Amino acid sequence: MSVLAVEALKIPAFIRRDFLVAWSYRMSFVTDLVGLAGQALVFYFISQLVDSSKLPTFQGTEVTYLEFATVGLLLGAFIHFGMQNVAQAVRNEQLMGTLESLLVTPTAPYTIQLGSVAFVFLYLPIRIILLVGVLALAFGLNFQAEGVLPALALLITFMPFVWGLGVISAAVIVTFKRGGGLVGMGALALAFVSGLYFPIELLPGWLTSIAEQNPIAVAVEGMRDALLGGAGWSEVGSSILLLAPLSLGLLFAGLLAFELALARERRLGTVGLY
Amino acid sequence: MIETAVRGTRPARALRLVSPSGIDAEHVVRSFRRTLALDDVSLSVRPGEIHALLGPNGAGKTTLVRILSGLIAPTSGTVRVAGLNATANSRDLRSDIGIIPSGDRSFYLRISGLENLVFFARLHGLRKRHAAERAYEVLEHVGLTDAARQRVGEYSHGMQKRLSVARALLTKPRVLLVDEATHDLDPDGSRRVQELVQEIAARGAAVLWATQRLDEIRGFAGAVTLLDRGKVRFQGSVPRLIEHSTPRRFVVRLRNGAGGIELQAAQRALGVRARITPPIEPGSEHHVIALAEGAVLGDAVASLSGIGIDVLACRQERSEIEEAFLALTDKPA
Repeated sequence: MSVLAVEALKIPAFIRRDFLVAWSYRMSFVTDLVGLAGQALVFYFISQLVDSSKLPTFQGTEVTYLEFATVGLLLGAFIHFGMQNVAQAVRNEQLMGTLESLLVTPTAPYTIQLGSVAFVFLYLPIRIILLVGVLALAFGLNFQAEGVLPALALLITFMPFVWGLGVISAAVIVTFKRGGGLVGMGALALAFVSGLYFPIELLPGWLTSIAEQNPIAVAVEGMRDALLGGAGWSEVGSSILLLAPLSLGLLFAGLLAFELALARERRLGTVGLY
Repeated sequence: MIETAVRGTRPARALRLVSPSGIDAEHVVRSFRRTLALDDVSLSVRPGEIHALLGPNGAGKTTLVRILSGLIAPTSGTVRVAGLNATANSRDLRSDIGIIPSGDRSFYLRISGLENLVFFARLHGLRKRHAAERAYEVLEHVGLTDAARQRVGEYSHGMQKRLSVARALLTKPRVLLVDEATHDLDPDGSRRVQELVQEIAARGAAVLWATQRLDEIRGFAGAVTLLDRGKVRFQGSVPRLIEHSTPRRFVVRLRNGAGGIELQAAQRALGVRARITPPIEPGSEHHVIALAEGAVLGDAVASLSGIGIDVLACRQERSEIEEAFLALTDKPA
């Protein structure tokens, strides 16, 4: 069996471990869902203030602010929750004192990193579907059924981008212990100029042209085209083609940074310190 | 060392430098910025041998264990563990070593001991069913079957330590590194862990047992390396270590007929050959006599008897190993 296959077989062990740990904190599932419902309610009331005619149309379809913001909220939550968990996974192992126990097993660092967040990336879609379900039932969202699969494909393509940002943050945390905030600030800046919660056309002209190149903006626009405008594979395909190399590149850069960070810690003798 | 190709059940392990010993560390130096944690440390542990790594806090024991496990690299020197270069931190090396860390926080406290072991077994490449079977086997071996489904956070120190031993047993390691495994255990818990480690050694594993508890190495370790401030102060067998013991302090139980001990009279009788301390506790018959350099215990006892003080009992204040340890590490007596 190849090394990659051996390593891949270890991922379910991480998923089971993290599920069992999460299940032991059942209340956190409830508070998370209540928090999501609260967010949805806030956006519902904000949407009552926004004139829909001032919002952009998607594939010629006019949308309400709640529909517009829901897609941004989905992706924003995906970025925030995913990145935070990826970055914190190794930090948590450090704090719990289990990082060294993992590192002395014959497991590759990339498996430890990927395995530690696999459960989160399985839970995230469930969380998103729940949020959309609640919003659709409560406020009557008008999502296009034919756009769901292309939007999902776009989200999957975008997943390594978030993962990569998180792993870079994890590498920074391993190296500087509490330096993860720097990457978080970078991600926040990217999110701000992405049009997650307001159209990027509202930004100053020079910033709008920069924001259009932002991978988060590309992802959210593609998802809105699909979910709100019913765009099919041909329209969303171009966004997927644009995002795929960026996402994979960032993920590999992140994994490389993480390997280098661990190698540095071994050299300095500070692995496991926090 | 002979370089040879090994064909076995694990094809990834194609080439291995076969070493006659489980652990070979040569001239290992490790510094942390300006602090020299290990200074030219060499040691060798044969398969089946328990080698005690003795030293006070800050001696460099944990640093050496971490280097041997591949967690940190030495600044210089060569380290071979189970015939592999430990500084390369290879997957094969990590397959061959078991570690019992000093702390209790090496497990996931919110999940059961069984689930912890299954998780670590799977990281060692065991399939799910085999991992569960093996986890049950080792839990039974360390006497934790009844607590298998209990959260590790609810385990006592002793149980967690036995769980560490169980984890080390999962893969039948060729080398076992034990770091201060018994420092917070009661005597019964310590003895239990020691017995388990002895079993692992009896199966052919080379065991390095880092400790600062001097009492536990007699009759347990075959060889000792004494580290102090990063330097090797002694290396050899336990009997050889004891040869460095020159006990000078004795706890004596004294009685003087119906009356108490007149301390000044006793000190006058002892003269310059020894110094006597007041009773260990008020009203106690126990005193400490510290012999001067070159003085003989028998002479001191005779001089006390000469003034009517009976010496009812006498024992060394510290064990021979402790005396040797203090002598070799330049600690004040």
